[in-house]
Amino acid sequence: METLKSALDFSDFPRLDLVVAGSLAILFLIFPVFPHSSFAMATMIQFLMFSLYGMGWNTIGGYGGQVDLGKAQYVGIGAYTTTVMLVRWDIPFWFSMPVGVCFAVLWSFVLGYPLFRLKGHYFAIATIATSLVLKDLFEVWDFVGAARGLEISPIKFPPPDFLRLIFKEDVYYYDVILGFFFVGILYMNWFRKSRLGFQLRAIKDNEEVARSLGINVHWAKIKTYAIATAFVSVVGSFHACYIKNIEPEDTMSLDISILIALMAMLGGAGSLWGPIIGAGILIPLKSYLKEWLGATAGLIGIDLILYALIIMVISAFEPRGIWGIVQKVRRRRQ
Amino acid sequence: MEILLSALVSGLLLGLVLALVALGLTIIFGVMDIVNFAHGEFLMVGMYTGLLTAQGLGIDPLLTLPVAGAVGFLLGVVCYFGFIKFLLRGPMVAQLLGTFGLMLFLRNLALLIFGSEDRALHHGLLVGKSFDIGMGVIVSATKLAAAGLSVAAFVAVWLFMNRTRIGKALTATALNRSAARYMGIPTERMNALAWGAGGASVTIAGALIVNFWSVNPFIGLLFTMIAFAIVALGGFGSVPGAFFAGLVVGLIMEIPGFWDFFMFTFNADWMAKVPMTSFKYMWVYLAYFVIMVVRPRGLFGWKH
Amino acid sequence: MALLELERVTKNFGGLMANHEISFAVGKGELLGLIGPNGAGKTTLFNCISGAYPVTSGRIFFDGEDITALKAHEVARRGLARTFQVYVASGDLTVIENVMVGCFMHTRSRSRARAQAGEVLKDLGIHDLSTALLNELPVASQKRVSMATAIATQPRLLLLDEVAAGLNPGEIEEIMGSIRHVHEELGMTVMLIEHVMELVMKISHRVIVLDYGQKIAEGAPEAITRDPAVIKAYLGERYAREHGAV
Repeated sequence: METLKSALDFSDFPRLDLVVAGSLAILFLIFPVFPHSSFAMATMIQFLMFSLYGMGWNTIGGYGGQVDLGKAQYVGIGAYTTTVMLVRWDIPFWFSMPVGVCFAVLWSFVLGYPLFRLKGHYFAIATIATSLVLKDLFEVWDFVGAARGLEISPIKFPPPDFLRLIFKEDVYYYDVILGFFFVGILYMNWFRKSRLGFQLRAIKDNEEVARSLGINVHWAKIKTYAIATAFVSVVGSFHACYIKNIEPEDTMSLDISILIALMAMLGGAGSLWGPIIGAGILIPLKSYLKEWLGATAGLIGIDLILYALIIMVISAFEPRGIWGIVQKVRRRRQ
Repeated sequence: MEILLSALVSGLLLGLVLALVALGLTIIFGVMDIVNFAHGEFLMVGMYTGLLTAQGLGIDPLLTLPVAGAVGFLLGVVCYFGFIKFLLRGPMVAQLLGTFGLMLFLRNLALLIFGSEDRALHHGLLVGKSFDIGMGVIVSATKLAAAGLSVAAFVAVWLFMNRTRIGKALTATALNRSAARYMGIPTERMNALAWGAGGASVTIAGALIVNFWSVNPFIGLLFTMIAFAIVALGGFGSVPGAFFAGLVVGLIMEIPGFWDFFMFTFNADWMAKVPMTSFKYMWVYLAYFVIMVVRPRGLFGWKH
Repeated sequence: MALLELERVTKNFGGLMANHEISFAVGKGELLGLIGPNGAGKTTLFNCISGAYPVTSGRIFFDGEDITALKAHEVARRGLARTFQVYVASGDLTVIENVMVGCFMHTRSRSRARAQAGEVLKDLGIHDLSTALLNELPVASQKRVSMATAIATQPRLLLLDEVAAGLNPGEIEEIMGSIRHVHEELGMTVMLIEHVMELVMKISHRVIVLDYGQKIAEGAPEAITRDPAVIKAYLGERYAREHGAV
């Protein structure tokens, strides 16, 4: 009960923040009602998805300070579990998604135990290595369609199908992911105030001191890694039903892992709103850049160049992200 | 038997070149503790430089090395003063993502300029020729030359680091930054030098590799990961470590060859079913993971 | 039975013998001072006791239990807390959040942790600093915060590592008061490393002296100041000889 109360309690934020957040929440809710292009809808859905990816990453990468660049493998586990279970055994999303989470979390424990013996860039590189290994394995594993991937055919499963999460109109997908989004925010709100959240922040501050306060650092990191994995896997499962066509290069590439980390970093790793702000900037930017620039022949790559420049500027000059700037300004005003 | 020898020789030769690729990474890391995710992209730049210089000027690919080296040095120094310098002030999270941004930037810039098709060298003194080194083993001339030049480069770097004044200053900065500064060694310049030297060695490696490996804008990541594995195995910051670890990794990459050997020797048909070639890189990644967990210091490492 | 007992604890770093066969006991309710010249191995000893370093040989008993092989967080959970001399913190946590981390060792509830943390801060007189960031505070306050954090774990034995270093006389008085409060009102056994002699000698029941990794003296403060070995360690052999101590 106290958990629920804590999740719903945003009172330690300044009033302005709550007003803005509340207004945005309402806007998101009524967005489908307004006239919108299918492109805008698709961008919104992507935004919500990546906010969730970012929120998940933020637990271990932001609050925990452990830069994980291998989250894409869990997107894959979630996506493939759902797809395989649907295509082969006609098991609907709402069953296969939790199963995907179980697999993903299990795998994260297997990896986490050795992984967290490493620190800093060694850890980061190791996460990349594990994700690439899994991706390579999926690319040659026939059971999951190898490099060709798998497809969910709307012919075989006629929409609208709420159990299997197959819809013709995007708005239903939007509603589902929006639901997950709000649940995700509530969870993160609880998380940052929970014992584990505090322990992580202490670990990030100074591991030795954290240990002297009775914190089992290794175990705390592993637990958090599992939480991040669960987030990512859920959205991965959703992704499979939304895109209806998955392959390792799309869902498990290093670029996806980096993108996920970037959401939180740009917006402000270690803060509740950070990943959402980051996604709110990067996803529309990416989509619209691609539309305007990418269409012109021979200019493929410019959107990514701009993208890369943003990353470079942020990491060199404001590593705490946008929320970090906001905080700095506020503290100075005090 | 030829298969085994062939795989061995191939692995060792490849290993020597890969060691040169990793050399730059270990120098930069040794001097300033930053991991350069864009390392493979520097290699790619070297490859394109070698290719275009050879084709454009109509000279032999092997003569493009100085050009590639100069380009690499310049690139390293420019990156340092224009970007890395600022990155160093921030937390490690930011540094990782920063060099990653650099990687994306270089990769997509190359995509923009060169397009996505593979390009390869077709003319040259040694291209297409091979030597028979006895016992039925045939080696491509370019690989042999590349390996030989790589060894020469290693020796040159080792001499530089240990026998020249500047090189010793660099080594001193790597061993103990503050002490070096107190002794009047300008660490800022050392940083830039490390990036220049690191950049140059990897672009030279690229100009060598393009003789037997085709280039496209996306090839960087693979080599970055290989370089990381080598540096981890050899020990971050160790030049001899990079050399021996490079050999080992070269051999690891020849595992399909060894697999074939075992397959024929033991007449094990089941082995044919395993798509070993696809797993070639996977062993490298796995090797990195295992090494880091079991012996983070690597073979010769002295940091952490 | 003593609360803490060290049996020939030795810590060897490669070739450097930081602690050599150190044995002593700390009784419940004692206030023990640990002094010695720089480099004598005092902080190393703390690290061995708290489990931050593994010992090379010897044993450590806490309330009868052999804690030699235990990891740092396990030792902390058994009621042994410590402060650190210097540490780099990334400074994300406010003062009260810092202390709450200590409280979380005994509770899962955030509200209870917050309340307890508030109490501890009030106890040490720094409640008004609750929302400040650690790296914005002056040294004296930082030391108090790290004391508060350690106390928040409700330890039976508290190890204080140079909490008076860098403080002016007024601040030293204040921290002395805090230490006395912790010891007498909160009933914790305290062991402190100190260089500030006036502090150690005034409040310790007993003092242990280390030099070059070995225990060279043990006893009441007054006796220690007259001990020839101690004088030699601090002021050198020549001084000791010249002043008839040797």
